Amino acid sequence: MPDVAIIGAGFYGFKPSVPELSFRELVFEAARRAYAEAGIDPRKDIAGFISCQEDFWEGIAIADEFAPEPLGGVLRPTFTVAGDLLQGIAQAYMMIKTGLFDIVAVESHSKQSDIKTLQEIYELALDPLYLRKLRPPNPLFMAGIDAQAYMMEAGASEEDLALVSVKNRNNGIDNPRASYSSTITLDDVISSGYYMKPIKNLEAAGFTDGAVVFVLASSEVARKFTDDPVWVKGIGWSTETGTGGWNHHVWGRMISAREAAKQAFKMSGLNLTDMDSIEIEDRFTYLEPLFLDEIGLSTIGYSVELLRTGDLDKNAHMPVNMSGGSQSIGVLLEATGGARLLEAYLQLKGKAGYRHHEVENALVASWRGPPTYTTSVLILSR
Amino acid sequence: MSWWKPRSHEDVIFYPGRQETEEYVYTPGIHGKQFAEALIKGKILGMKCGDKFIVPPTTFCPDFSEGELVEVDTEWTVQYYTEVYRDLYGNQLEEPVVMILVQPLGWEGGLIHYLKPGIKPEIGLRVRPVFKPEEERRGTIDDILYWEPY
Repeated sequence: MPDVAIIGAGFYGFKPSVPELSFRELVFEAARRAYAEAGIDPRKDIAGFISCQEDFWEGIAIADEFAPEPLGGVLRPTFTVAGDLLQGIAQAYMMIKTGLFDIVAVESHSKQSDIKTLQEIYELALDPLYLRKLRPPNPLFMAGIDAQAYMMEAGASEEDLALVSVKNRNNGIDNPRASYSSTITLDDVISSGYYMKPIKNLEAAGFTDGAVVFVLASSEVARKFTDDPVWVKGIGWSTETGTGGWNHHVWGRMISAREAAKQAFKMSGLNLTDMDSIEIEDRFTYLEPLFLDEIGLSTIGYSVELLRTGDLDKNAHMPVNMSGGSQSIGVLLEATGGARLLEAYLQLKGKAGYRHHEVENALVASWRGPPTYTTSVLILSR
Repeated sequence: MSWWKPRSHEDVIFYPGRQETEEYVYTPGIHGKQFAEALIKGKILGMKCGDKFIVPPTTFCPDFSEGELVEVDTEWTVQYYTEVYRDLYGNQLEEPVVMILVQPLGWEGGLIHYLKPGIKPEIGLRVRPVFKPEEERRGTIDDILYWEPY
């Protein structure tokens, strides 16, 4: 079976609002840049196209019918994945491994600024029988419960969680895609007030418009188009439950992340200490140490100490979210994992100006966000 | 023409739209119907899966076998909670709202609901459901107004 590489990436937007373009134009702009980097013509060279999107985000029913055009995929094998972009990367990876597809494009986008009723859409994700009818004042409230449970399990304080916001929002200052970056201090975060206890207002990521497109290819084809492909060494994904049954959920944990990481590490033959950069979920601050605990297959709370000692900082041996993470870049709906993959890709290619050292191996983990418990983990190498 | 980008807000127009789902029904299913009927009677059902007791009930157990619906007949405590200060749009709520995860002692899972306003949340707090008057119950989870300590 062929190895799989990423040979091109493109993006567009990455602002809280991109009012001048439709979501289809956002995708077209990102796709054209990705194909230009890869040096390919989508109408001739690409065997399959994957769009990662949800109808409710688009406000269009059966929105997959809108996917082929802006990608150059009309009358070609195209399908949608109703999930995060990393789940689409997994599909592309498997398609190429079969030997039936040599080049596959994967897309995701966020035009969250078009959505006037985002809270109501999140409400529709709550279990209709056991939860939705309560109309919780903020449908993301489960993050508050998980954060509290994680703090207890990990022995973490509110100040520890605030450190994540300070680190990541300052990290993003050098990243042109990080609209929410800021030179904030610990005092700023602590005094910003609660969003949902114990999460402070400056610990909850904002939302962002943008599109990302990646071109994946088999090893044989990749070498024809580029001298420095980024190799997909391992990938895993796992889904827990919806909000109608908590019996599978361990509060303060992210078992799906641990399972996805196990799968990805096993496939890659690498482990966490081989990683030079880690881009993981941090849309709420508690998620960063939690994800690091889970993907590192560590005891819960292990990462909190690393956070305190600065061992996750940009200049550390194993920096976590040196791009600024979602705290700086924001949440791009199903493109959130794609935004982080883009950063890891640019770091590996030596094109991320903010990076402190050479990156040979990188790990990206995405989560679809509350009220879901789906995680993907991707391991990349130069 | 995509090298050309609108440079002022006047060049941008927006078409108002409506979400695709205005109204629909949700079939609660076999377990959901019984759960709803029990709520009207002021009772909460869970399920027995082998030697485990789980709430809320579903037709299928975690091990993929079929569960047996049973009434929760033990006391409930607050397992975790959060206090919500802002909605998703960032608007400050008039008062923080306490959401609790309540779990029957010895059971797995739990229900998410409201704590009685004015009560300080606490992990381990023993609570009971306060139902609406029987004539107002509709078999939905908001037949329970909130949970109160006792």
